[in-house]
Amino acid sequence: MKKLFAGLAAALIIGLSCVSAFAAGINSSEASVLNNMRTPANMKGNSVYVPASYINQAESYFNTIDMTTAQAGKINSIIGQARSFLGSTGKSSVKELSASERKTLINYASAAAAVLNLSAAAGSDDRNIKVITKNGKTVVDDSTNIIKTTGAEESVLPYVASGVLTVLLSISVFGLTYLKRKSAAYEEVR
Amino acid sequence: MKKSGKKISPQLKKFVLIPPAMVLAMCIFFVALFFPVISDAVSIGNMFLSDKQVDYSKSFDNIFVPTADDSDTVNASDIDFPTINKQFGDLTIKSCDVDARLFFGDAAIPLRNGVGIYAGSFIPGYGKTILVAGHNNTYFNGLKNVKKGDTVKIRTSYGNYKYEVTETKIYNASSKKSYDLDADEENLILYTCYPFDQVGLTEKRFFVYAKKVSGPRIIGLYDEEK
Repeated sequence: MKKLFAGLAAALIIGLSCVSAFAAGINSSEASVLNNMRTPANMKGNSVYVPASYINQAESYFNTIDMTTAQAGKINSIIGQARSFLGSTGKSSVKELSASERKTLINYASAAAAVLNLSAAAGSDDRNIKVITKNGKTVVDDSTNIIKTTGAEESVLPYVASGVLTVLLSISVFGLTYLKRKSAAYEEVR
Repeated sequence: MKKSGKKISPQLKKFVLIPPAMVLAMCIFFVALFFPVISDAVSIGNMFLSDKQVDYSKSFDNIFVPTADDSDTVNASDIDFPTINKQFGDLTIKSCDVDARLFFGDAAIPLRNGVGIYAGSFIPGYGKTILVAGHNNTYFNGLKNVKKGDTVKIRTSYGNYKYEVTETKIYNASSKKSYDLDADEENLILYTCYPFDQVGLTEKRFFVYAKKVSGPRIIGLYDEEK
């Protein structure tokens, strides 16, 4: 009896670990969300698409998680509501949306992110979205340009700035000393 | 009788007016010349003056374990997909001394420690666009010597890839002609600021385009393929 019980417990543990095992790739739930994201909204006869950069970032993130059917259902419902909302604004593009309409759109994004225990925040102008995990790791970030600033590595910038400041100070000190001497010489002549 | 109060000479009057004017002119000149540098210096200064914490650390996670496997395909389930700021490979171009850690994500930490794939593009083997950024004064400085036909090698834990440089181009950073994130064919794009060796920040970018020559294609990505 003991052996049977131990066997059942072992089977249960193995079974549970199989269920929770993470499968890389895009499962059908994740694929349905990606397809839904690719469906355009109709704004005054114009088809408005979610930028590829957002969809690609979502796809890369989905490769690292396992979305359930229930989660996908909730997210797809929110995406549908956001699409309807865009159509109801009477505007012909996202650029034309008012501040409050953009806020509403961000709220839809936040609600969709919350389904996956993520939080979405908009940039100061409510035009870009950043999605992060509970522990602060970035999942989607469109708050910066796609093509980054790849000039001087930022750790050298303080040194450059200090150099510029030193040159400026040197010029000022040298200039003032020179002017003081000139002035003293003028007084002596008088 | 002479007045006892100090008289200010006309020259001194000039000196009183001219130095501030000169300093002001110099400030305007330097701000115009080094605006990006100054704005960065100001932002670094803000780090000390504000409560907001800025991450200047160089620490990162590394999931890269070199492999000798030269299969034509790799199953998605066998891949540890990188998350943002993780090193998952390296990138080398022998002909122009480029040798860098390869990260997923192209924010500060990846670019301080190597080169980074834009998270809105894809990892090698995915069959889509791979957009890689690197600084022109560090890891991608060697791109100035890259030539058509050069080989770009990318090693990851799930396979080793070779790409052949097809062309180089210079675009403005804001130009959308320089990349296609919707492409359905694997294409590698490397870029850095242009001109090379310039300390200040620039508007132009130097792009290197390469086509895939070899390396495992990722299969089983979607349920219908599994």
